[in-house]
Amino acid sequence: MVFSDLFFLFVFLPSFFLIYIAAWGVDKMRAQKLTSSECVSRTTWRNAALIVFSLLFYAWGEPIYVFLMLGSVAVNYVAGLLIDRSHRHRRLALAAGLCCNVAILGTFKYADFIASSLSAIGVPVPAPHIALPIGISFYTFQSISYLIDVYRRQAPVQKKFGGLLLYISMFPQLIAGPIVRYDLVAREINDRHVTAADLREGVFRFLIGLGKKVILANQFSEIAGQFLDGPMKELSTTGAWLGILAFTFQIFFDFSGYSDMAIGLGRCLGFHFAENFRHPYCCRSITEFWRRWHISLGSFFRDYVYIPMGGNRRHQALNILAVWFLTGLWHGASWNFVLWGLYFGIIVTLEKYTLLRVADRVPRVLLHLYSLLLVVVGWGIFYFEDFSRMGEFFSVFTGHGAPFHDFTVESAFFSNFWLWVTAVVFSMPVYDTITRLAGKWCPASCIGFLALTVRLLLSIALLALSVSLLVGATNNAFIYTRF
Amino acid sequence: MKKDKTYLFLLSLVYVGFVIVFCFFPRSTFSELEKRELTSFPAFTAESLANGSFTTGVNHWFSDTEPFRDFFMKTNLQQKKLIAWTFPRGDEEEVVFHATNDGAAAAEGTNAPTDLGELTADDKAKIANNGIIIVGSGDKVRALMAYGGGPNGGVSYAEAANAYHNALGSAVRVYCMVIPTAAAFYCPEKAKTKTRDQEATIRNIHNHLEPGVVAVNAFSALKTHAAENIYLRTDHHWAPLGAFYAAQEFCRMAGVPFKPLSAYQQKVVHRFVGSMYGYSQDLSIKEHPEDFVYYVPQGLNYQVWFTDYEINKNYEVVAEKKPYKGRFFQHYPDGHGGAYCTFMGGDTRIVKVVTGTNSSRRVLILKDSFGNAIPGYLFYSFGEVHVVDFRYFTHNMKQYVQQNGITDILFAHNIFNAYSPHVGKRYVKYLKQANGTFAPRTDKKTAADSLHKEHKTKPAEEHKAKTPEEQKPAEEKKEQEKPEENPNS
Repeated sequence: MVFSDLFFLFVFLPSFFLIYIAAWGVDKMRAQKLTSSECVSRTTWRNAALIVFSLLFYAWGEPIYVFLMLGSVAVNYVAGLLIDRSHRHRRLALAAGLCCNVAILGTFKYADFIASSLSAIGVPVPAPHIALPIGISFYTFQSISYLIDVYRRQAPVQKKFGGLLLYISMFPQLIAGPIVRYDLVAREINDRHVTAADLREGVFRFLIGLGKKVILANQFSEIAGQFLDGPMKELSTTGAWLGILAFTFQIFFDFSGYSDMAIGLGRCLGFHFAENFRHPYCCRSITEFWRRWHISLGSFFRDYVYIPMGGNRRHQALNILAVWFLTGLWHGASWNFVLWGLYFGIIVTLEKYTLLRVADRVPRVLLHLYSLLLVVVGWGIFYFEDFSRMGEFFSVFTGHGAPFHDFTVESAFFSNFWLWVTAVVFSMPVYDTITRLAGKWCPASCIGFLALTVRLLLSIALLALSVSLLVGATNNAFIYTRF
Repeated sequence: MKKDKTYLFLLSLVYVGFVIVFCFFPRSTFSELEKRELTSFPAFTAESLANGSFTTGVNHWFSDTEPFRDFFMKTNLQQKKLIAWTFPRGDEEEVVFHATNDGAAAAEGTNAPTDLGELTADDKAKIANNGIIIVGSGDKVRALMAYGGGPNGGVSYAEAANAYHNALGSAVRVYCMVIPTAAAFYCPEKAKTKTRDQEATIRNIHNHLEPGVVAVNAFSALKTHAAENIYLRTDHHWAPLGAFYAAQEFCRMAGVPFKPLSAYQQKVVHRFVGSMYGYSQDLSIKEHPEDFVYYVPQGLNYQVWFTDYEINKNYEVVAEKKPYKGRFFQHYPDGHGGAYCTFMGGDTRIVKVVTGTNSSRRVLILKDSFGNAIPGYLFYSFGEVHVVDFRYFTHNMKQYVQQNGITDILFAHNIFNAYSPHVGKRYVKYLKQANGTFAPRTDKKTAADSLHKEHKTKPAEEHKAKTPEEQKPAEEKKEQEKPEENPNS
């Protein structure tokens, strides 16, 4: 099940909220009976409701692999306890826990890839043909974050199995992130409060995300598919550009839309997840792009791979290479993703010694163009898992052996004109700008009313538009759930 | 704080409203817009639960059958129209047709390219949903289904005709007609790369016919008249007028008399919008309906017998009903989207017409829905006209031909079906199968399905060779239920 699905929006979500609110009531009653000295979780019933619905949510899409996830949580639960209790063997317990996680990920995500890669270099290994469990990359990384945070004593061990299960399986962020760090939510598992402002922000954020996905990403996916999925010999150069630009917008609005929905839902439940995107296409260098794109993944690799490997203190080049290799590989079991990771790794390294030193003296507009061009080329590498198609694409993209232009490009551009405009506008921090300007120009007395009206109208419009677009939608899967 | 609560309260009202509509209002079962029956609730089995197909099916069912589906779809299309930037383009070029210069047009002494050049359609072309090419604007807007077949395909269609020729001997003449689709004539130069040359496939099919089999060149016959309304602009079918010219060519090859259009009574279904609206989901098609014009023979006392087939959900024949007498032409009211079912009310039947014309010749038409428009023009030419659809036939063909004293067999299919190897193979099977062959069949898919499948294996052609034909049975099943009585036929 995905968030942008009518069944989720109008059956799952209302049922969940009903039960959750009832559970909240029970928690409240229990809390009144307790004296303040009793140190008991004040969220027991809410957590139970959340766990049940999360498992249902996951099992809806993966009726068998839900047991794999439960198994993975059990392993990490035991490993966490061992790390916490044993003084002498904490390191060993951590290593064993990490190995289990890596083994699970390796088996279920990379076994086929490893087998086919070995076969390609002359070591015949039969491919086991294991289907990828949804969201395994995300929940395995969260498990790793848990073990390491406990090991580093940055967060207390989770003594209740249910608590850990909740952290791993929580449906808002289960299948496509953001990768929530354990230390960030550890406290909120057992003690969280929701104010009306939290609910307002959460609901609004969810609707913004829904709109990004359904209104923008889904339409761009059609445009991208029209140009990039057909035979390359029929593609024109302008078609290649338009197609990959459409994908550039698609992947951003798809993934950041999902993150918005996850953050919004989390907020409604009292969880504060970290931001995952900060207008990445407004970057002035690739280094900055990666500080703004999929922040939870970048910081995961920084804190749990790059710095432990030595960071910039020893063999930095190797560390950078490893991080970018893994970043690429995390996105999919295919060499094009590895290439994509290394492509950015090389650019980031080069920027460190060149661009970033002179960036202050270069006109901003050039920096933006330079970064966007490299990002778009990057999406070209990302899009094509088949290297021969990728080669053909880039030869068309650079104007080799293809007609320059054909009418379908105009057609796709002009029939979606306002979509392109909206996409460009919302790739920029327009919401912040408007809020700031409104604060400047409107008298303080009317700003509250204005904000309420605008927010309400926008929310209703987003909901209604998305729903009518979802009726009859065919291409609705989130890209990032397959990682 | 208070404002937050107001916001939450008002938004919740809207949301709860949606929940009530989506969960508690009666669900849609048929989409007029898409002309198809909507998904039914998935069957629950332990296996379907374990492999996830049950839950996926529930989600699919829920969004497919949601209440007021057509209303939401229409809103959806209006939104999609709003995101376009329409601006007047002053220098409208004439459509440059890429019909080739050879063929019957030249043979008949008319200069086809000049004729076509007089057509003033503008050059606007865009790609809509499902790769449909939308050409022109205003009253001239036309939806074209891109053709993805290569120049070497269609051999099994020719082989089926050959097999009939060889199996039935010299007593029965076999004719092979491939009906091009509108894209062959109305695709502007600009969009030419999006659809393939139909004439090349047709030529290849003709080249594979054995000397005894007669090729009926519908392509040339139609090309000469491309300036007339020989194709429906809003439907994937040709117009009855196109079928008239093809039937004329067939009768010329068969050496039978043929009456001009003036012998027929002209009837019109106004404000017709065909399948291409739902398929392309382009509003300009909906906003520019056309006249569905057809021709009913006059002065003949013809009698029509229908042998209906009962079909299951997979469009397999499960039973054959008793023959009954009925009307050949079913008149539809103005604005009805199913007007193409005028002829015999659809496909799931064998039709026998005793024409009242004094002729020893009896023709059997083996056809798809394109072929439905042909038999009505043959009543003056043959003593009996039999019509069999390639999807529904449970007899042994050889026996059927002999028992009914058939003298001529016409294969009449659109190029998508002619291209599909499954259609030809199915006809060969009909020659051999025993009488009373009902479902469960081994080959479940219709030709259109198999065309999809075939093109899946050829990525170069995959995105183009789609046809709305596969949606037809549902459409016809529905339409059959409510044709208006036609007192004149």
